[in-house]
Amino acid sequence: MKIGIPRALGYYNYYPFWFGFFGSLGIEIVLSDKTTKKLVSEGSALVVSETCLPVKIYMGHVLNLLNQKGVDIIYSPSIQSIDHKIYNCSKLRGLPDLVRNVVKKDFLLIEPTLDKSEKNQGLYQYLYESVAPLGITDKKTIKKASKVGWAYQNNFTGMTRDGMHPAEAMETAIKGKVVIKSRKNNYPINIAVLSHGYNLYDNHVSMNIFKKLENLGVKAHVSENLSVEQMNEGLNVLNTSLYWANELEISGAAGSFMTNKNIDGVLTLTAFGCGPDSLMVERITRYAKRLQKPLLNLTVDEHTGEAGFITRIEAFTDMLYRRKRSNIVQNLNKQIKIDSERQEVVYSRDNIVKV
Amino acid sequence: MIPFMQAEVNNIKANKEKIVAFPQMGNIRIPVAAVLKAMGANLYLSPENNKEALSLGTRHSTETVCLPYKLNLGNYIQALEGGANVLLMFSAPGTCRLGNYAKMAEAKLRELGYDFEFIVFDMYKGKFVEIIKKFSQATGNKSISNAYRGIKIGLAKFDALDEIERKLFYFRPREIESGKAEKIYLSGRRSIEKADTVEEVKNTVQETINKYNSVKIDTNKEILKVYLMGEFFVLLDPFTNMNIEKELGLLGVEVERTIMLSDWTNQTLIPKWNKKTETHRQRAVRTANKYLTRSVGGECIETVGDAVYAAECNVDGVVHVGPFNCIPEIVSQCILPNVSKQENIPVISLLMDEQTGKAGMVTRIEAFVDLIRRQRKNKSIINAYNKLSLRGEAKASTWQSKSSDCRVKSVVGNNN
Repeated sequence: MKIGIPRALGYYNYYPFWFGFFGSLGIEIVLSDKTTKKLVSEGSALVVSETCLPVKIYMGHVLNLLNQKGVDIIYSPSIQSIDHKIYNCSKLRGLPDLVRNVVKKDFLLIEPTLDKSEKNQGLYQYLYESVAPLGITDKKTIKKASKVGWAYQNNFTGMTRDGMHPAEAMETAIKGKVVIKSRKNNYPINIAVLSHGYNLYDNHVSMNIFKKLENLGVKAHVSENLSVEQMNEGLNVLNTSLYWANELEISGAAGSFMTNKNIDGVLTLTAFGCGPDSLMVERITRYAKRLQKPLLNLTVDEHTGEAGFITRIEAFTDMLYRRKRSNIVQNLNKQIKIDSERQEVVYSRDNIVKV
Repeated sequence: MIPFMQAEVNNIKANKEKIVAFPQMGNIRIPVAAVLKAMGANLYLSPENNKEALSLGTRHSTETVCLPYKLNLGNYIQALEGGANVLLMFSAPGTCRLGNYAKMAEAKLRELGYDFEFIVFDMYKGKFVEIIKKFSQATGNKSISNAYRGIKIGLAKFDALDEIERKLFYFRPREIESGKAEKIYLSGRRSIEKADTVEEVKNTVQETINKYNSVKIDTNKEILKVYLMGEFFVLLDPFTNMNIEKELGLLGVEVERTIMLSDWTNQTLIPKWNKKTETHRQRAVRTANKYLTRSVGGECIETVGDAVYAAECNVDGVVHVGPFNCIPEIVSQCILPNVSKQENIPVISLLMDEQTGKAGMVTRIEAFVDLIRRQRKNKSIINAYNKLSLRGEAKASTWQSKSSDCRVKSVVGNNN
């Protein structure tokens, strides 16, 4: 049995779990190809132009699975709410409905719903709905499989918390390994890069931002490196409470990074037309001013050119370098001033003695 | 500071009069103002939504936030400049960005340096109790009878406004002398605004209906019927939707707006066990089931459900409005083409923002109305033909035999 999982949206956060879960039930996963320009334009043709970039890309991946990969079962979950009255964005809540209405082909759509605000729509019901259309209905087997899934997912989060890049961590986790690397801290500049996983780790959307930063001598920190407690504290820093299901990874991480002395600047990457992000970024901008952290907001859509993107990142890092240098010089000046004042005192005393 | 002076300052602060203001949304100003007045509040009634409020709001908000927020913020700034010091807003979970408005607006206004009290109707908790509590907090009212009286007259005004507006939708496309029904409606609205008791409100409604009945209507005119649906704020606020009902009415289209003021109050205020008939939302969930199986926030499921319902009711077309960049309406906008195709109902989506020009919108509406009028004609021709063929079977059979001959010929031709 083969099911197709689009390499978009939830893939970047939950794939290790799905891999373990479906794998232990004997279901083969077929992933779509990596995002390309053609794939994006095919996806955008299906939905109205105001739709946000990640959803357009998702549609492209669904088409890719159906046309190129020859899969006729698509797994498209709807994450309604992750906690009591903490809802997701409408487009993610209605994702399977969008796929069903927009993709005009014959295929089986598996559309489980996770809704923690409802009574009977928790994780196990969600998992049951995920595999029931494939003929697996035994609840004990499903529970066992979910444990395998969690083992993979925990390995993944363990490695990312340790500071490993999530894309690398995912590859390692899927092999069933846990690798903890020794960290070298010799980067002159540290930047926090804030966005959702599906924007950052999709190299077509983020235009290889991590490699570019690496080349500029910058260490990029992401929200996956933080623990949930740190991000909750971050929300308190921004004087807000959780409203969106994926608010922690932006607002929470921003609060945590902006109070961290080792972080020199914050960079946010938002997809054009993202509703929740527009509000979160507004709040972050206000607090960045108060906490005096340099902030760069980048908005991407399907027409964003790479040249403009690089220029902005370069200018931002140049600014951070200059700021750091001038800080060092100022500190040195202070030191020199103190030293010279001391010398003067000594000199005048000598004078007094001589006289 | 000398102690007794401090006491005096405190006194002044306590006695400082509360002047209440609330954001504007079409006709909602009349009943809400009535409730607040009955509870003894000093009211700053900000002007109806206008260009000035919009540009003020746009200046102080991020570009990608939706239109209702910009207008709300504009209203608040106007009210604070006009002397108000208590602002009302409500926030509810599980909807859309609406739940963040209160937080955002408060932060922005404080940043701009205004001093005010911000009262949020928090719908996370109970509904009815919460509303009375917060109204009392805003007005300083302590008597329950006043609160009861206020809410009673408020609800009466909600219903009255809906009633005269529905009549307007009926008369506007049919009247011979255009503009007369509108005048009656406006004068009726004014007198409802002035009315102080429930009886007075009822009398004005009766008077207005009598006036309507004296309007001469063209009974021979072919009237198209259109459902107007979509996002709540844009539907109810004539400034934001550029008075689309009027434009449609002038083109000879009877509009049925799927969300009226009182529908909404009934849905949110009356507890579940007291609802006898199927509410709008329940109907939408039922009809939308084929296309949208889960509620995704905002009015998305209502929009999709109403489109299907419109097709069931044999309505000529559906006009879908919403603010630009509204998350739930984008979902419904993606789904509607499929509904339109499967249910065979024409749909037009109009998303409004501060840049929308009226002329462009009117052109699109005109084109849409032309289209549905032509479709109706085609339908009537087909119906007439069907009726004919039923009556004169002999004639029809000759027709059919002729056409079948043609078909056979063409098939043969293909084979060759």
